[in-house]
Amino acid sequence: MSTTSLTLRQRLSRLDVKASPYAYIAPFFVLFGIVGLFPLVYTFVVSFNDWDLLKGPGEWVGLENYVNVLTDRFFWNSLGNTLSIFFLSAVPQLFFALVIAAVLDQNLKGRTFWRMSVLLPYVVSPVAVTLIFSSVFNEQDGLANNLVNLIGIADIQWKHDVAASHLAIATMVNYRWTGYNALILLAAMQAVPRDLYESAALDGAGPIRRFVSITIPSIRPTLIFVVITSTIGGLQIFTEPRLFDVSNAGGIGGSDRQFQTAVLYLWEMAFFRRDFGEASAIAWLLFLLIVGFALLNFLVSRRIASTELRSAQRKASRALLENSRAVRLSGRITAGAVESRSDR
Amino acid sequence: MRLSRPAAATAIASAAVLSLALTGCSASGGGGDDEITLSITTFGTFGYEDLYAEYEELNPNITIEATNIDTGGNARTDAFTKIASGGLTDIVALEEGWLGAIMEVSDNFVDLRDYGIEDRATDWVDWKYAQGTDPAGRVIGYGTDIGPEGICYNGPALEAAGLSSDRADVATLLDGDWEHFFEVGQAYTDTTGKAWFDHSGFVWNAMVNQLDEGYYTSDGDLNVEGNSELRERFDLLAGAVAGGQSAAQAAWDWNGGKSFVDGTFAVFMCPGWMLGVVKEKVEAGGGDASTGWDFADVFPGGAANWGGAFLSVAATSEHPEEAAALSDWLTQPEQQVKQSAAAGNFPSTIAAQETLSSEATPNEFFNGAPTGAILAGRAEGVVAQFKGPDDSLIQENVFGPALQALDRKETDGEGAWQQAITLLNDLVE
Amino acid sequence: MTATASRPVARASKRGLRIDRPGFLTYGLLAAFLIGSTYPLWWSFVVASGSNATRGETLPLIPGGNFLANASKVLDAIPFWQALLNSVIVSGAITISVVAFATLAGYSFAKLRFKGRDGLMLFVVATLAIPTQLGVIPLFILMKELGWTGTLGAVIVPTLVTAFGVFFMRQYLVEVIPDELIEAARMDGAGQFRTFLTVAIPAARPAMAILGLFTFMTAWTDFFWPMIVLRSTNPTVQTALSQLQSGYYVDYSIVLAGAILATIPLLVLFVIAGRQLIAGIMAGAVKG
Repeated sequence: MSTTSLTLRQRLSRLDVKASPYAYIAPFFVLFGIVGLFPLVYTFVVSFNDWDLLKGPGEWVGLENYVNVLTDRFFWNSLGNTLSIFFLSAVPQLFFALVIAAVLDQNLKGRTFWRMSVLLPYVVSPVAVTLIFSSVFNEQDGLANNLVNLIGIADIQWKHDVAASHLAIATMVNYRWTGYNALILLAAMQAVPRDLYESAALDGAGPIRRFVSITIPSIRPTLIFVVITSTIGGLQIFTEPRLFDVSNAGGIGGSDRQFQTAVLYLWEMAFFRRDFGEASAIAWLLFLLIVGFALLNFLVSRRIASTELRSAQRKASRALLENSRAVRLSGRITAGAVESRSDR
Repeated sequence: MRLSRPAAATAIASAAVLSLALTGCSASGGGGDDEITLSITTFGTFGYEDLYAEYEELNPNITIEATNIDTGGNARTDAFTKIASGGLTDIVALEEGWLGAIMEVSDNFVDLRDYGIEDRATDWVDWKYAQGTDPAGRVIGYGTDIGPEGICYNGPALEAAGLSSDRADVATLLDGDWEHFFEVGQAYTDTTGKAWFDHSGFVWNAMVNQLDEGYYTSDGDLNVEGNSELRERFDLLAGAVAGGQSAAQAAWDWNGGKSFVDGTFAVFMCPGWMLGVVKEKVEAGGGDASTGWDFADVFPGGAANWGGAFLSVAATSEHPEEAAALSDWLTQPEQQVKQSAAAGNFPSTIAAQETLSSEATPNEFFNGAPTGAILAGRAEGVVAQFKGPDDSLIQENVFGPALQALDRKETDGEGAWQQAITLLNDLVE
Repeated sequence: MTATASRPVARASKRGLRIDRPGFLTYGLLAAFLIGSTYPLWWSFVVASGSNATRGETLPLIPGGNFLANASKVLDAIPFWQALLNSVIVSGAITISVVAFATLAGYSFAKLRFKGRDGLMLFVVATLAIPTQLGVIPLFILMKELGWTGTLGAVIVPTLVTAFGVFFMRQYLVEVIPDELIEAARMDGAGQFRTFLTVAIPAARPAMAILGLFTFMTAWTDFFWPMIVLRSTNPTVQTALSQLQSGYYVDYSIVLAGAILATIPLLVLFVIAGRQLIAGIMAGAVKG
């Protein structure tokens, strides 16, 4: 082993360490550069022009489209609807997704069956969903009103009352996405080392305590993921309000825009009012709003971590390392050990 | 195995993309100069599938690549997207309701007079040909189908009010103007305590379309606020609603179709294509032919049309001549009869209408009514009203909400009109 | 050393069984949820095996006998098998690509150190916040320029790597892979890629299964963009099915029969992916 070949190997290895990360993330950015960037820049430029959808580009108007949107009462109406539907959907959804994931995390009989059953709502075809929920929320004799009548309340105007329509749409959204988010959380929960629970149980912690102090902090990054993606998705709700009202084809979300969300408003502006410039402005304003909101939710959910757990985790990973070192010393390669363990 | 999984995955993915991209490149626009591929976009049920095959047999050098979009709404989004991105197919089906906006950009479509459409201008009912003509006189569309309106009525409902349910009698009863129509309606409502029609929206649309000038003057100016004729008609309708004639139904839902079955309303505005919708809704509501819906050869205010389409040739087409030839052939009376048989729509060419009329096939569901003959009779005398760029918008997003508020007794006639005007000022420049 | 490490765990694992054993309440809750989740699918099947009139019934529970008849009407009416094949190609290609590249990128963002890492990650997440509805127009222009309109490539390429996938894998891997394990592999002399293969991939398997499943489902149920960019001669299963709804008179029993046929491949995938959710993959490392 001459000194020159060592340094060559060292140099290659250092190059490997330095350059590989960029190579690994490159596919996303290359693809984005090709198909993602152009639409973004395009709509950005359009938002500064007087641009009719059919007639094409007009003249440069600077921020006029943005000002028009911000002074448009329908825009603020749609924002209000969006936020209302968002809260009604995101909060219960997150809660139920956590509970369901926790329930599914156990040693159930027929595990795969139960776990996949929560995903079934996601694959029901939109046709069926529309027909069913339209029928359930039928104002004259739908299931929802029948149930409500049983407890003595009069028929609720699901498609005409603002609050009721938001509730109905939030229900449709939650129905579709709760199982989806539950599975994401479940995947993360499954990776929590079981012996953390065992040692906590030995210390006398009950199931709720274990859930709050061990599970939730352990899955924090994935929890943050679900919070952020639900926030982003929730503020972009579009298909449900669009399908909920068959009577108004103009994309106005109810006869009086009772449930016109921001994206639906964007849609109306682009394809019915054919004002591409203002629609693009709405898209970018929405982007700012969503980023702001997501950031807020991120900062809030970051606070979910307890220091006591962190030390337990450190203990567990130290034990892991000890074990792998011991295995290495006994002659087996680390890779093989990991492989055999994950076969279980 | 595991070691090469990501590598293999990458290889598969890139190979797939590459091969698909290559297939894509070679599939569009053939090799030799004789071989021509024409792309055509239609929507709903146009009934052209067999016709495409027939044309390809007659013209072996032509291959037709068809796309059918499921609903008119999606088709509109598709057409507008393609106009905005310059990517229309060679032939596009345009719906009547889009014409207001399309006419502003009619340069996107070829002037069919260059391909001899003027020679067969009399094939169509005159107003259909006029509809397809832009303000500069360029003809951009071969008329395909139309939607002449008659009145669908429920026999048992009329009988319950002491009126005759015989088709001819109903035609005589309702023949006249809108004032007369609402008079009969009020009598019905007073006698039975039930509503006369399902909701104001369809009634209003028919009333507006019959005017010489609708929401716009023939010069293209917006004409709603000071339009006394329009206001008169609105007040007439508002009076009828105030008298309880409107059942305030949710359009396209009608309580899951049940309102058609339980006698909630007695009459219904019926363009030819609506007959299929009524049948479906009645069945969804648990009824069938015995529920008693029938089709009368009458319409308040005279002739009226709702809907219809045109075949247009995109200006960006590389084969405008062949595209025009195909569109021309598809809209010949002979083909329109075949189309009607396949899809159930009503043709716009007079000869085809006469064929259907002479066949007079009774429509089982509608009490054996000779719907073909009735519709042929109703196709004459429609006004080719000028449709401005925001006509659709005004109909759907301005008057739609206002009339729903009126129907649901949330406001009176004056209030509804004001609501419409406010919406108009907010939405239309 | 391993013996002593395993003995207390063995004792605890007996008690562990007691922690984990789910009770009546659990199964009850799951059953209630199952009924709610499954009913719409069951409803679809009941209507698909009945007639158009079944659709109007309030609470149809018992299937009729028409399913096969309606299903064969679907197969006659639309090019179902061609559409199915196209959808498999499209969804399969997208899934393989997304899972592969998202895991790679997610691992980098989660465990490797490089300049600009956090800023770039933030950028990736930010791209999720843009409403994509208007993007159809410039995207169509792009596809037109590339000559890809009407080809499956136009549907596949735009989603070959998704920000959602990268973000998901990053969040999963950041917690699941202890840094020490990577160091250990590095000390063994493994290069970056080798480390990725031997440490990250095994740990990431459940997440890869979930991401793969979700990506496949999303691609499979996508309707709007394929409708715009494809022709009816080269459809995906969703655009082909939409033709069943295109008349004035719609027979929903046939529409739903088609929908059920298109859902079956997804259900098969459910089972395959579900088996990958194995508890405590890394915990096993300690027990072993």
